Amino acid sequence: MTFPQTSPRNATALTVAFFFVALPLADAGAADAAAGKQKAAVCAACHGPEGNSQNPAIPVLAGQPAQMIATQLFQFREGNRKDPQMSPMAEKLSNTEMNDLAAYFASVKPVPTAYKTAPQNAAAGAELTKKNNCVQCHGPTLHGQQHIPRLAGQQHDYLLAQLKLFKVGKRADMDGNMTSAAQPLNDKDIEVLADYLAGLSPY
Amino acid sequence: MKTIVAVAVFAAFSAANAQTPPAGDAPPWKQGMNPEQSQSTLHPFAPHMTGRSAKELPLDKLHAPAGFKVEVWAEGIPEARSLALGDKGTVFVSNRLSKNVYAVVDKGGNREVKTVLKGLNAPNGIVFSKGTLFVAERDKITRYDGIEGNLDNPPAAKVVVENLDPTKQAGHFWKYLAMGPDGKLYFNIGAPGNIVMPNYMQASVMRVDPANGKLETVALGVRNSVGMAFDPKTKDLWFTNHARDWLGDDSPNDTLHHVSLKAKAVPNFGYPFCHQGDTQDPEFGKDRSCKEFTKPALKLGTHIAPLGVKFYTGKMFPAEYQGNMFIAMHGSWNRTVKQGYNIMRVTLDGKGQPKMQPFITGFLTDEKADPPMWGRPVDLLVMKDGSMLFSDDYNGILYRVSYSK
Repeated sequence: MTFPQTSPRNATALTVAFFFVALPLADAGAADAAAGKQKAAVCAACHGPEGNSQNPAIPVLAGQPAQMIATQLFQFREGNRKDPQMSPMAEKLSNTEMNDLAAYFASVKPVPTAYKTAPQNAAAGAELTKKNNCVQCHGPTLHGQQHIPRLAGQQHDYLLAQLKLFKVGKRADMDGNMTSAAQPLNDKDIEVLADYLAGLSPY
Repeated sequence: MKTIVAVAVFAAFSAANAQTPPAGDAPPWKQGMNPEQSQSTLHPFAPHMTGRSAKELPLDKLHAPAGFKVEVWAEGIPEARSLALGDKGTVFVSNRLSKNVYAVVDKGGNREVKTVLKGLNAPNGIVFSKGTLFVAERDKITRYDGIEGNLDNPPAAKVVVENLDPTKQAGHFWKYLAMGPDGKLYFNIGAPGNIVMPNYMQASVMRVDPANGKLETVALGVRNSVGMAFDPKTKDLWFTNHARDWLGDDSPNDTLHHVSLKAKAVPNFGYPFCHQGDTQDPEFGKDRSCKEFTKPALKLGTHIAPLGVKFYTGKMFPAEYQGNMFIAMHGSWNRTVKQGYNIMRVTLDGKGQPKMQPFITGFLTDEKADPPMWGRPVDLLVMKDGSMLFSDDYNGILYRVSYSK
C-alpha cells in the first residue's frame, strides 16, 4: 500500500543552474551568523547581552531555534504579530537580515536565568506539560525545534503574558495550534506552567 | 496482513470512542488520535516563512529522468504556494499562512519579485483568466481585473462570492482555485478537522459562476482537495484529495479523483464514512458501506499529501509527456517512515486508467528524520515555452523543469 521510494532507474543527476537575481524580498546569500551578530547590537538594549535577556518581560533569544526566530520576525514585519517595541524594529528588516539574525541568536549559548520554580509547582508543571501536549511540539525537554520555541528557561513574565494572549486568541499564531492548545488552560494552570517553564535549564 | 492491521486499528478506535469525549480544543491536525497515539511526536512541518537561500540547499540531490533539468527560477517568495500565469508572462504566487500575493516578473532572465496584493486572509487559491486574477481567500473569492498591466498599482478587489467560511473553521480553511472549461471557478471547502462530520458546505468541491456569483456543488465527501486540473481533451475535472490522519502509517491512501462535468449526479467520494473508496472509517463508517460511494481514480500513497495537479500541455517535453498529469506531493508528516516530497507523473492508458511513476525526486533525504526533507513541492505551472515551474513553500523557491535532447 505504501508508495515505493525509489529513484527512477533511468534517472540522471541533474545539472542545477543558478540565476543570480536581485530580489527585493531576499538576496541570494545563505544565512550568515556573523552578519547577524553585527545587526544584533541594537537588540541587546532589550534582549540583553547576546540575546540573554535579563528582563522578566523580554524573551531570551540565545540558543532558540533559528527557524523560530526568523518566523517571529516575519510575523512582526507582516503585522500578524504586533508589539509597540518589536513591530517598528522588524519593519525595516529583509528576509535575509532576519535569517542572519536568527542564525546568530541560534548559535549563542543560553545563560540560565536566576529564576527558581516554586517547589509546589515542579511536579504539577511537568504534569501540565504532558497533559496539554506541550512536550509533543516543544520537545520532551521543552527545548523547542524548527519553528517552535524553547520554553525551558524562558523569562517568566514573558511566558505568562504569551499564554494569556493565546488563551484569549490575541497572540498571532501561524497555524492556530497554540491558540487551540491554550484553550483548556485556566488561570491557575497558566501560572503554574510559566513558573515551571521559567525555572527549567535552557540546555 | 492488511486485514489484521485494519482490525487492530478498528478495535483501538472503538475503545477510544467509548472512553474519550470529542477533543474539541485539540488542534485540527491532532483531532482523531487514539489514546495510544496521544504521545506521538509526529507533527506537521512549518515553512521557513523568511525563505531559505538556494545556496544553502542540497540541490544536487534532485533527480529527474534523462534529458530533464531542474534549476532555481526564483527565490525569496515567502511560503510560495499556488501558481498562476498571466497573459503577459507574469507568474503570480500565493501563500496559505500569511496575507500577500506576489508577482514574479521575468525581465530577460532577470526576475523581480513584487508584492502585489496585501492584507488578504489566507489567499491560497489563485488563477488567472482573460486578464483577471481571481483569488480564493478563506472566506471569499475576489477578482482583480486588468491587474497584470498595473502590478505597482493593482485594481481594487471585486467580490465574486463570499461567506465561504461561515463557521470560521479551524482546519483546512485554505482553498485551491481553478478555472473550468465552462468559465466557472472550481474550489474546495475542506473538512473542518481531521475526521469530523462536515456541515452541508464542507468536505466538498464547489464551483461558482463569476458572472453571477451562483454556487453549485461539484463533488461531496472530499476531505480536502488542494489541487485541481481539467483534461484539455475531455474537459473532465481531476483533483487530488488528502485522506484522514491517525489510522497508522499504511492507511488510508490519499487519492486522485475524476469527475465528468457532463454527469448530472453529484458524486460523493465517501468522507467521513469511507476512505480511498474501500476502507470504512473506524468511527464514522461503522454503519455505512463503501459501496454507496464513488471510488477514486487512483490511490497515491498514504499521507503523501498530494497538492497541485496539472496536465502537461507544452511542447518542450518529449511527445509521450503530452497530456500527462504531474502531481506535487507535499507530505507525509503523519507517518513514522516518511514518503513523498516529490513530483509524480501520471499517465492514462487506452482505457483512461491512470498509472503513476516518479518524475522529480530528491527532496526526501532521511525518511526517519525530523524534518525528513529539505523542500516541499506545492503547485505546478506549465509555461509558454513548455517548461514547467513548481513551487516549494518550505523554502520560498520556484524551480523550473526543462527538457533538451
